[in-house]
Amino acid sequence: MSKSNQAHSQEYVRFGISQRLEHGIFLVSFSLLGFTGLIQKFAESPISLFFIELMGGVETTRIIHHWSAIVMMLVSVYHVLVLLYKILVLRVPWTMMPWLDDLKHVLQDVAYYLGIRKQRAQYGHFTYAEKAEYLAVVWGTVLMGATGFMMWNPISTARFLPGEFIPAAKAAHGAEAILAVLAILLWHFYHVHLKTFNKSMFTGKLNREQMEHEHPVVLQQIESGAGPKPIPAETLKKRQMIYYPLAAVILVSFSFGLYAFIGYENTSITTVPRGETVEVYVRVTPVPRPTATMAPSPTPGAGVSSNSWDGSFEGLFRNRCSTCHGTTKVGGLTLAKYKDALAGGKTGPGIVPGEADKSVLVQVQQQGGHPGQLTEEELQSVIDWINAGAPEK
Amino acid sequence: MSFNHETSPRSAPRRAAANKKLLLLFCGLCACALLLLGLGNSPAAAAAPRQEASPTLGPLSLDDSYCLSCHGQPGSTMKLEDGSTLDLFVDPNEYSHSIHGEKGYACVQCHRQIGEYPHAPFTAKDRRDAALQLYPACYFCHSGEYEATQDSVHARAFDAGNKEGAVCTDCHTAHAVRPINDPATGKIRPDAHLWIPETCAQCHNAIYQKYRNTVHGEALINGNPDVPTCIDCHGVHNISDPTTNQFRLNSPDICTSCHTDPKRMDKYGISTDVLTTYVSDFHGTTVTLFEKQAPDAQTNKPVCYDCHGVHDILRVDDPQKGLHVRENLLKRCQVCHPDATADFPDSWLSHYIPSPDKYPMVYYVNLFYYFFLIPVVLGGMGVLVVMDFGRSMINRFRKNPGGSSEEASHV
Repeated sequence: MSKSNQAHSQEYVRFGISQRLEHGIFLVSFSLLGFTGLIQKFAESPISLFFIELMGGVETTRIIHHWSAIVMMLVSVYHVLVLLYKILVLRVPWTMMPWLDDLKHVLQDVAYYLGIRKQRAQYGHFTYAEKAEYLAVVWGTVLMGATGFMMWNPISTARFLPGEFIPAAKAAHGAEAILAVLAILLWHFYHVHLKTFNKSMFTGKLNREQMEHEHPVVLQQIESGAGPKPIPAETLKKRQMIYYPLAAVILVSFSFGLYAFIGYENTSITTVPRGETVEVYVRVTPVPRPTATMAPSPTPGAGVSSNSWDGSFEGLFRNRCSTCHGTTKVGGLTLAKYKDALAGGKTGPGIVPGEADKSVLVQVQQQGGHPGQLTEEELQSVIDWINAGAPEK
Repeated sequence: MSFNHETSPRSAPRRAAANKKLLLLFCGLCACALLLLGLGNSPAAAAAPRQEASPTLGPLSLDDSYCLSCHGQPGSTMKLEDGSTLDLFVDPNEYSHSIHGEKGYACVQCHRQIGEYPHAPFTAKDRRDAALQLYPACYFCHSGEYEATQDSVHARAFDAGNKEGAVCTDCHTAHAVRPINDPATGKIRPDAHLWIPETCAQCHNAIYQKYRNTVHGEALINGNPDVPTCIDCHGVHNISDPTTNQFRLNSPDICTSCHTDPKRMDKYGISTDVLTTYVSDFHGTTVTLFEKQAPDAQTNKPVCYDCHGVHDILRVDDPQKGLHVRENLLKRCQVCHPDATADFPDSWLSHYIPSPDKYPMVYYVNLFYYFFLIPVVLGGMGVLVVMDFGRSMINRFRKNPGGSSEEASHV
């Protein structure tokens, strides 16, 4: 028991604070990207609809996706800068690089799984599982970044590449997302959460037993004192003189790249395209309806007084009244002939010569509102004519 | 048209039963009328209206010949308050050939308040006012259609103060109402298809002039009844406002109700994949999501008519103006993407499903991922994970068979 306790209490630094922070930020942005991306890819499924609505609609979902992508790009460039510093300045061994040894380890592990070999392969600082995952992240980030750029900036892309690259980028972006998310769920979750719950990415430390089990070669190196030797200050400075300009170049080009990503082009208008542009309300010219031709009153002949039936009133009544009181005898009245006008209709004599007040025509017209209402002037002339004896000629 | 578009087939038997009752009622009424009035010339009673409640028979003491003795003669007019003249002439020939005339409806069944001559005073500010006073008579028999119009864009324009907003008689006329449906089939009469755009054209002539030269309009004029007329997209009676966000978001449903129907499209060799290919693209995804989640919201992502035209819809393979011509498509793209260059239109798959012939790059990217990279990577990982898990299970069992197995997996 005491040995076991000792083994547990002995701790080895596995990940520095910077690496853990990188992992944390990458984890958050990756999860957000995968989530907001896949619900867009499968937008028609009810689950996606639920989450898209929860996030405030597809436009908001896209904004979250874009911002997560920017965060991931920032972490990635930070990682590149740190990596270059380690390689160029500190000249530490590139422990994440896969070598032929890793292939050998896979085969050894398979042999072990099958019971041919007694023990697992002797992994170095990173196992082939971790290396495979790291490679997948690098490949995935580069591919997603490139295809994401094409979709974010389709106009600029089509200037330099065939337009078909954009839907092809969309296809690759979506398929790669499925691959990445499934690989994380299958490979990453199995190795660091299911198999053993490895908390070193959060605590930064491994205990002796974990080291023995997962990184025996490293443990051996540490215990034999074969750690990295301190670098003389002068050499360090020399190397830094090379590194800093390089880092500056990378930073500047990355900043330009990020600017290009976000604000390179105005992809589309922000207004709604106009629908129908012609005037909506345009009447056709109506076909004229048939109208009665108003026959002009005949010029009074010789011996015909203008203030007489023949001279004025036959014409007036024909024009204004004959629709109802002509051939048709509404109410029994027709004003077509002098004689009939005097006779009147059902309600009494139409015209009583000399007595306008007793003439039903005048009585009706004076009430107003008659369908063939005469103007006041016309009515007065009729009254005057009747009071003058209503001469026929 | 209303019969076809607004009555569900399920209600047909009920209606038949109702018609039977109505018929009996009318036989009774006929007999009464004959007895009381001694008039055999009331054909209105013989023809039961097909649809809704029968018109309450007004004072049938006035037969049409009485009215037409004045109104049947051209030139009968009255002065309105604004000085214009109202034509009081009703063409007896035209009326007798209208659906109402054919069925023998009498003037006074609509003009109920008119009474015998001399009429009660009728005043109207102008001719429009006169029409507006008279058209509610349609409600007596066609209350369903009348009420449907109350939600329409026409009624809303009217309520907002535009007195030209169409009312019943503007489309159907007052005295020359034509039957649009064939009573035998319940479908629009073949010759009536053409009447529809002509009717709308009375007020929307500029749009009609566009429509008549389109793929749909041209076919219609050439006698093809398969193509949509105005009402197929805009509806009848409760015609909605086509300028709203909601209409815009719903509009793909209108087009695809025909364009995804193989029965209609196969005849013309037109693809029915237009909806799925649209929805799977960025534009269509957004529009569909908006339609489902925020049907009133504004989106500028294109719907069918932004590319294919609103009323000026052309064949895509039109040699001059069709979207198959690259420059034409680019111009459409540039409406929303002003900076688009010559290669940009290829970023839209033109409703094609990628194949080795059409958009091969997309096809091969999908092939590479779904038939190679994903299966190989995940398969490889899966095999190793399963073997690793299997080995740890075996180890655990061997080391501590049947018991708890703390740290059993450690060799």
